[in-house]
Amino acid sequence: MPAIRAEGLRKTFVTRRKAAGLRGSLRALFHPDRQTVEAVRGISFEMEEGELLGFIGPNGAGKSTTIKMLTGILYPTAGQATVLGFVPWEQRQQLAYRIGTVFGQRPQLWYHLPAIDTFYLFGKIYELDDRTIRRRIAFLAEAFEIEHLLETPVRKLSLGQRMRCEIAASLLHHPRLLLLDEPSIGLDVVAKQRIRDTIRRMNELEGVGVLLTSHDAGDIEALCRRVIIINHGQIVYQDKVSALKRRYLTSKLVEVRYAHQVPRDFRVEGTQVLKIGRYGVKLRFDTRQTPVEAVIARLAEAGNLVDVTISDPSLEEVIRTIYQEQAEP
Amino acid sequence: MSRRGLKYWAIFKTQLINGFAYPGDLLARSLSIIIFLWVFLFLWRTTYRAVGQERIAGLSLRDTLWYLMLAETIVLSKPRLSSTIAEAVRDGSIAYLLNKPYNFLLYQLSVGLGDSILRLAFNALAGGLLVGLTVGPPPPLWGWPLTLVTVIAAWLIDFCIAATIGLTAFVTEDVAAFEWIYQKVTFILGGLLIPLDFFPAWLQAVAQALPFAYTVYGPARLFVEPDGGRFVTLLLTQGAWLAALGMLLALLYRKGVTWLTINGG
Repeated sequence: MPAIRAEGLRKTFVTRRKAAGLRGSLRALFHPDRQTVEAVRGISFEMEEGELLGFIGPNGAGKSTTIKMLTGILYPTAGQATVLGFVPWEQRQQLAYRIGTVFGQRPQLWYHLPAIDTFYLFGKIYELDDRTIRRRIAFLAEAFEIEHLLETPVRKLSLGQRMRCEIAASLLHHPRLLLLDEPSIGLDVVAKQRIRDTIRRMNELEGVGVLLTSHDAGDIEALCRRVIIINHGQIVYQDKVSALKRRYLTSKLVEVRYAHQVPRDFRVEGTQVLKIGRYGVKLRFDTRQTPVEAVIARLAEAGNLVDVTISDPSLEEVIRTIYQEQAEP
Repeated sequence: MSRRGLKYWAIFKTQLINGFAYPGDLLARSLSIIIFLWVFLFLWRTTYRAVGQERIAGLSLRDTLWYLMLAETIVLSKPRLSSTIAEAVRDGSIAYLLNKPYNFLLYQLSVGLGDSILRLAFNALAGGLLVGLTVGPPPPLWGWPLTLVTVIAAWLIDFCIAATIGLTAFVTEDVAAFEWIYQKVTFILGGLLIPLDFFPAWLQAVAQALPFAYTVYGPARLFVEPDGGRFVTLLLTQGAWLAALGMLLALLYRKGVTWLTINGG
């Protein structure tokens, strides 16, 4: 049985538009200007138990709305879904015992209390006995390296520390499925890496399935075997991450700064120069043809390097490429 | 206690601990009851002197002040339930409140109780001290436990009304207007500003026919003139309103959940 099966999920919101000022408010009261927003437009997919599945798309693509339907908080406008065999919006409470959720932008830990207090509270809410709660907290505290943070009021933790506590809290009741909505949002590179490592470890240790949404392709690349890309409420791509990498994440962008001025005719073999500044250059290259280390070596040969940044094409660029392919097969 | 019951007890306890995270807020609130009662003290002292009678509508100055002390304590100890629910809908944190294995309304009830109990104690202490020192000793001790029972029932009725207002946020997002109206109705028809006894008969009849009088006036009036018969009548009336409003709330919640739209993506 798949952990998640979604068929033609749709969600339409009706929002009220209101003109500015008191007059606008009054008019909206008697003649509301209703606007229909199609957040999710027919999404179908399956996820196996214990799978690490990535759900990516730009802001406003419908990722969170989909997750909220799958946890049963939102009723879909149309379509069907089962999560661990339950229809989420009809059996929200039964499902809640078996899934864990983290919404990266919203804290679930009590802000003014130390995390351990929320851990105990959640233990009670999930109807665990005291001994189980204590053991589970000790285990998670070690796995997430948060032993030293548990007694500190949550408001005093850094975002990265808090996020580790948030995810640990969502695993307290041994869920079979973890739904993580933007768990790495706002984190620095090191904190992101730490979160990714821990999620992977928990997946290996306990076989908990993870559905992860992100607008950062890096999260998915580092964690998931399979990825679904959604845009404007629809699935535009669904395949293995390795295939995505092979096909779309092939080019990289390099920005370099030199200690001296850059000649106007600056060239590096195997790369395409995008922009030449006074001291800096921006280049693009294809990793299938030119390996990263070769590019770096050539850039270093060309002069006295001060700074190098390598980045992946943005998700928006990847989606644009996918669209272009679909438009002209 | 069953595990199910234990979880609400744990929620209540956590909120109680959370209350101690804001000792400043607790004290500030007790300060506001002192200010309100201080103003009332001068107002009613002048009124009683001007009328030139020992009692107005059966209440002495001492009765009136102790009445107002309990009325203010009840109202100032209420949790900010409607706006809390509305805020959770607006900022999207409702998503967390709805996907845990508990009844959302019982969760709010437990949090609200944990929130109110400390304030109730602080407000009663501060207000009681002021009134006791200025107009004389409190009403007879034997009426206190009876009053406490009706205060709890009053709190529950208010919970139903406030939660109903809060749930409208599932559709309207903003509840400030409803909240404002409810507050003002409580001021007058609830008997918060003036004991209902001072009203003309027709207005008293209107107030008695509505639930608001049983959230403030009922317990406060029983407190200053405890009486077995009055207690039983009040409690039965409160029970009837509680059943009706509780049913309305449960119904609205079941409907409301399907209408919910969540902000924040």
